[in-house]
Amino acid sequence: MSNQATAVPLRKDWEGGVSPFGVSYGKLFMWFFLVSDALTFSSLLCAYGFMRHKYTGQWAHPNEVFHHFPFLEGKNLPLAYVGFMTFDLIMSSVTMVLAVEAGHRKNRRQVMMWLFFTIIGGLIFVGSQCWEWYHFITGPEVGVDGYQGVFRDYIMNGRHIINPHFTGANLVVNSYTMLPTFGDFFFCITGFHGFHVFSGVIINIIILAMVANGIMDKRGHYEMVEKAGLYWHFVDLVWVFVFTFFYLL
Amino acid sequence: MSSFFEEYEGYPNYEKMAVHDEAHGKVVRKKLWMVFWIMLIVTLFELFIGFKYSETLGEINKEYLFIFLTVAKAFFIVFVFMHLGDEKKALKYVIIAPYTLFIFYLAFMAITEGTYTSTIRDILNVTMHQ
Repeated sequence: MSNQATAVPLRKDWEGGVSPFGVSYGKLFMWFFLVSDALTFSSLLCAYGFMRHKYTGQWAHPNEVFHHFPFLEGKNLPLAYVGFMTFDLIMSSVTMVLAVEAGHRKNRRQVMMWLFFTIIGGLIFVGSQCWEWYHFITGPEVGVDGYQGVFRDYIMNGRHIINPHFTGANLVVNSYTMLPTFGDFFFCITGFHGFHVFSGVIINIIILAMVANGIMDKRGHYEMVEKAGLYWHFVDLVWVFVFTFFYLL
Repeated sequence: MSSFFEEYEGYPNYEKMAVHDEAHGKVVRKKLWMVFWIMLIVTLFELFIGFKYSETLGEINKEYLFIFLTVAKAFFIVFVFMHLGDEKKALKYVIIAPYTLFIFYLAFMAITEGTYTSTIRDILNVTMHQ
């Protein structure tokens, strides 16, 4: 069954009997899924653009919000960690495409090696995002008067107290700007993207297990790696846009 | 699903067609690493501009520069890493054309409406964040 295609004269694209797009069923629908997912992310980013233009001048400066770096607490390094996260995701994208390339050569060991590196890169990214969320939520280490207040308002002895020392952010209020929208969009967009990275890591782990068990060799092709790769590159693609529109501009 | 299609005589087995030998693999890998270096340099350049020249360059110029560089990176990811450049013309158009059309429209609407709302708020002197 393997090389039957060459024995039969090729038909024209839209006459039936062949895929007019020259790809398999699975890959075509992976592309369609990615287009619809891209539209979701685009809608979120366009809504973000709308709000940002609506509140011109009142929006927080990303340079002043995201300036922490792990193990270098207290130093002012604007956007350095986000730059590292971008580098990490691009790097894992490269290892993924190398896994796909090794799959085209049916080299099982190399596919496993590159997939493993991709998973590590994805886990580093998810961890970095947790770290960044933590710092965004708790805010600066100390407020203006040397006191950190995580909760904006609370009930004490039956009285509703508004905390004047509040630093950080939640869905209702944040100390970076007067606009709750800023925090909402941060949580929504980076959270949605982080969820995609997380599910991408899970998919990659499943694919790695399948490759390790020799399922791809039994099938005679590594297209499953290619499809998982499409999803992983898409996650990287979205991050490139989130990085620009949320952190740089 | 492939077994379902294999029942039709002469239906090409697209999954098994995507193979290449060691020599061709070398060429592909060289191209991939080159694209990686381009993307890395572009990202570092963006960060450098973001820190250093955010004031001198002007807000509008900076925005256009960043958007241009981002679209360039997106092009490399989609056409090289996701191999859309190697696919048939029909698939390229089916993926790119509807998405681009829709997104240009949506971005245009969002930015225009946002700016308009901002102007109206200035005129009416709205101080509440609503």
